[in-house]
Amino acid sequence: MKTLDIMKRAGRNLRQAKGRTILTSLAIAIGAFTLTLSLAIGEGARQYADELLKSNIDPQTVFVVKDESLVGGGGGAPGLSSNLREYGSSTTQFGGATFKALNADDIKTIQNAPGVESVTPTYLVNAQYLQVEGVDKKFTTDITVYDSTVKAEAAAGSLPDLGQQIADDEIVMPEAFVEVLKPGAKASDFVGKTITLRLVRLTEQPSDAEIEAAFASGGQQSVQELFEQEARDETFRIRAVSAQSSTSFSASNGLFISVNKARELSEFLTADTDQYQKYVSAVVKVKEGEDPKVTADYLNGRQMAARTAKDLQGLIFTIVGILQGIVAGFGALALIASVFGIINTQYISVLERTSQIGLMKALGMPRKGVAKLFRYEAAWIGLIGGLIGSLTAFILGLLLNPFITETLELGDNTILIFVWWQIALLLLGLIAVAIVAGWLPARKAAKLDPIEALRTE
Amino acid sequence: MIEIRNVTKTYGKKKNTFTALDDISIEIPDGASVAIVGKSGSGKSTLMHVMSGLDRPETGEVVVDGENILALKAKQVDAFRSEKMSFIFQSFFVQGNESCYNNVSLPLEIAGVPLKNRRKKIERALADVELGEKIKSRAKDLSGGQKQRLAIARAIVTNPKILFADEPTGNLDSVTGDAIEKLLFDYNRKQKTTLIIVTHDIDIAKKCDMVIHIKDGKVASVTGDKR
Repeated sequence: MKTLDIMKRAGRNLRQAKGRTILTSLAIAIGAFTLTLSLAIGEGARQYADELLKSNIDPQTVFVVKDESLVGGGGGAPGLSSNLREYGSSTTQFGGATFKALNADDIKTIQNAPGVESVTPTYLVNAQYLQVEGVDKKFTTDITVYDSTVKAEAAAGSLPDLGQQIADDEIVMPEAFVEVLKPGAKASDFVGKTITLRLVRLTEQPSDAEIEAAFASGGQQSVQELFEQEARDETFRIRAVSAQSSTSFSASNGLFISVNKARELSEFLTADTDQYQKYVSAVVKVKEGEDPKVTADYLNGRQMAARTAKDLQGLIFTIVGILQGIVAGFGALALIASVFGIINTQYISVLERTSQIGLMKALGMPRKGVAKLFRYEAAWIGLIGGLIGSLTAFILGLLLNPFITETLELGDNTILIFVWWQIALLLLGLIAVAIVAGWLPARKAAKLDPIEALRTE
Repeated sequence: MIEIRNVTKTYGKKKNTFTALDDISIEIPDGASVAIVGKSGSGKSTLMHVMSGLDRPETGEVVVDGENILALKAKQVDAFRSEKMSFIFQSFFVQGNESCYNNVSLPLEIAGVPLKNRRKKIERALADVELGEKIKSRAKDLSGGQKQRLAIARAIVTNPKILFADEPTGNLDSVTGDAIEKLLFDYNRKQKTTLIIVTHDIDIAKKCDMVIHIKDGKVASVTGDKR
């Protein structure tokens, strides 16, 4: 008997028991649905992460920190490890947490590392408040260095070409600020206006002895002077308003100032404290054509933790992989359950059709042919279930994608991406699973004694 | 020509053995119509199974067309049966949910007849049993007599040399049964196909060229052997 004929007959046999076929394949469909979604989520997340990294990080960049825990290496995942750290003069405060910081020597080491073109430490510039020309209220925000390695889009004004810094008296403001500063205003309204930052130098709290000494020498007046902090106003002209982007972190929050200005202000703020010229991290630009990995390896061997853009990508992909694995695990469980469903259904089918099997054998169908017939029926169940599950997942994905994108504010990115060859492979896998499940019932059918099967009494 | 030589078939083990066929030897010439009669449990069905290679006796030879089918492997017996034999059963065993076309197509598919050669054969076989109109109907929508006619169409579509009929009229009323009988004997005469009917029915047996009586696993008598 030809394979095609057996397949056709298998298909017809299933059609004759539509309800049972559909119910059995639904079990597989649930597995297929979950697996298809997990594949789509994985693909979408990977592409999104890729897009995210591409628009935020120059591949020639190496991130350097002193504290291993900041990059998730060595001391385990951040947040899980103990937050209690030994205090030392080389630690720095950032966001309430204490980290080991890079010092001037470290920066020098980095500058001398192979392939390094430039080093930009992350300057911490904390303004007490800021004021925008034409707006009465005072605001606070983050202030960071303008990243010249990534080209951002401007909503108004113009941004310098890739690799070019903004001038020292210029500032770039994110589009998100416009609504807050002046509801109803346009981005272009702010270009050319000035922003004034109020900077207050960090001083250590005077000790009780110092306060007493001051009081003794100059009374109330002297004590007040002791607490008075040195302050400074810095005025910038708004060069551009950066456009909101779903993939670019840098464009969405905080003001941008030039590297030189950032260094100057940071040094002003930390002068005479133990945080002077201490940095949480540094961004190293590696020369074009040089392998950032080499630079990173060099620095890793010198009591620093360096990560290339690729390492960060790997870190994100690992997380995506784990999430995907969890979803896929549920799919696999559903599949295992469906295997027993298929075995059961096919056993019943064999029992129901003993006379049919007996007849086929009497007509000269060999054992192998009978076994094939039942295996192909199982394969059909696998294919039907797979198609139902994958199609449902696909349609659901198409319907949900705009909603997810809107809710998570992903812009042009979709989080569920269906790749046809992945689904095709999944279907093949499901057919294989179904055939394996149909093996025992098929064997039972093949072994059936035709004389017994055809007995009418 | 079917020759059965000293065939013994037993069922069960050791103390509980039951001898279904006890040292039977028979010769059936080509093109004959043969009735195998006997009470239930006499071994007549077993004899048919042995002749068709469905059952394997412990001793003896079953020579069909000069070939000892007991010496063949299971696969070869299957192929042999597919090529040379056909069956009709008391309870028809048509596949109710399949169309008449697909029911008749089954033995052709098993024999590996290419798709393009099938339709003509199927149409002719159905026409021969006067079911030409029902080619697309599902078998379960047919009456009992029609189902047996469909079974005959399925049996003759491969042009078998030997046609086995196991109580072919047992489930039918006498009028329909007569029509089926006539169909079988006509086919036997026209196509020179050996027709072997296992039956209780003495009336059918009387119409056959040869009647083999089986009693307690032995040949009690062979009548009408015209050679």
